[in-house]
Amino acid sequence: MDRPAAGASYQRFPRVRIRELRDDYAKFELRDTDASIANALRRVMIAEVPTVAIDLVEIEVNSSVLNDEFIAHRLGLIPLTSAAAMQMRFSRDCDACDGDGSCEYCSVEFLLSARATDSDQTLEVTANDLRSADPKVCPVDQARAYQQALNADYDTNAGEQRGILIVKLRRGQELRLRAIARKGIGKDHAKWSPAATVTFMYEPDIRINEELMDTLTLDEKRSWVESSPTKVFHLDPITKQVTVCDAEAYTYDDEVIKKAEAMGKPGLVEINAKEDSFIFTVETTGAITAYELIMNAITVLRQKLDAVRLQDDDGDLGELGAHLGGP
Amino acid sequence: MNAPDRYERFVVPEGTKKVSYERDTKIVNAASFTIEREDHTIGNIVRMQLHRDPNVLFAGYKLPHPLQYKIIVRIHTTSQSSPTQAYTQAINDLDKELEYLKQAFEDEKTRYEERAKQGF
Repeated sequence: MDRPAAGASYQRFPRVRIRELRDDYAKFELRDTDASIANALRRVMIAEVPTVAIDLVEIEVNSSVLNDEFIAHRLGLIPLTSAAAMQMRFSRDCDACDGDGSCEYCSVEFLLSARATDSDQTLEVTANDLRSADPKVCPVDQARAYQQALNADYDTNAGEQRGILIVKLRRGQELRLRAIARKGIGKDHAKWSPAATVTFMYEPDIRINEELMDTLTLDEKRSWVESSPTKVFHLDPITKQVTVCDAEAYTYDDEVIKKAEAMGKPGLVEINAKEDSFIFTVETTGAITAYELIMNAITVLRQKLDAVRLQDDDGDLGELGAHLGGP
Repeated sequence: MNAPDRYERFVVPEGTKKVSYERDTKIVNAASFTIEREDHTIGNIVRMQLHRDPNVLFAGYKLPHPLQYKIIVRIHTTSQSSPTQAYTQAINDLDKELEYLKQAFEDEKTRYEERAKQGF
């Protein structure tokens, strides 16, 4: 058999088209690669792109109705702006401190102090009450409020920017604590995951057999078009032509194919998933932007690949040894 | 209590190699690579990339147990190549593909912003 010499490259050159890109949302097409790469990117975005989240809480006073660990857990789940997380150190391999997470390279300190004093109203303690020691790392809605104040946006509804609720305090109750935020990844705990949702789908390739379609009556066409649970096909009321209006709405449910068979018209439509073409939807928690999430995911995946390279002292030498004096 | 540390899932224990390599004693040009602290993310892309290499006769990976944080990649090649060579080549190709993808994303972002400016 004729095989190319070993050492040839089988690299692919994927193509990308961005459809929509906002701070916390991205939709893009990824082509000329396979499902393994698409899935690896998805998995890395969810579980291995680092962010910063509260990991250690020292409670000074807590006379609220929630117990200490309940509050600590709620604090951990607050998304913090993590644009700098890629450059930060994990506190477990930080040389500058003993891993107690109190140095500038691996941790950020937060203080919270709230006491319900006057009035009969309950005091809502929110993420906005957290005071960060590092302006780069703060709760995401604090950062957004700050941005909007800077840009003096017209369409801000100030009432919405109340921050994530941590606990409600009745008159006389108090909450005072110190919290340490650390860098981490979603694999460790979901609070570190920057992804709200990351999904991808195969791009469908839908072909209508026009010849067979012409043999259908208008009523048949209508009932066939309506058999799809999502609006994929469109029946033009004037030309009486069936067209694909939204191929991506197809959920691979096979309903239209079954319907065609039930009508005695098998092969009316042919639907295939393009195996090298994916449509990604990425939403972030706000800890990092969707674009940062994608770029960081690629960087992290490359770092992982780099870590699994064979080191000179194992594989290659073993092979060499086998050639020199192997059995 | 006796719960294992959470980081055990992704920190390679001291004294353990990230990748170890063991040749098959019965078949020539066959070997198993044990990769510590990796999962389907790496296993599947490496496997699929190896399948693109015509000198690779067999490539597969397994995650032996969900609580043992390691994967085993098995490669069998023709005599023109070797498992280590195919493995290294697959990683190089994947790395280059991702480098290319990153650049493609950066370029597409500038194009997207250009399109957005023109009011699409």
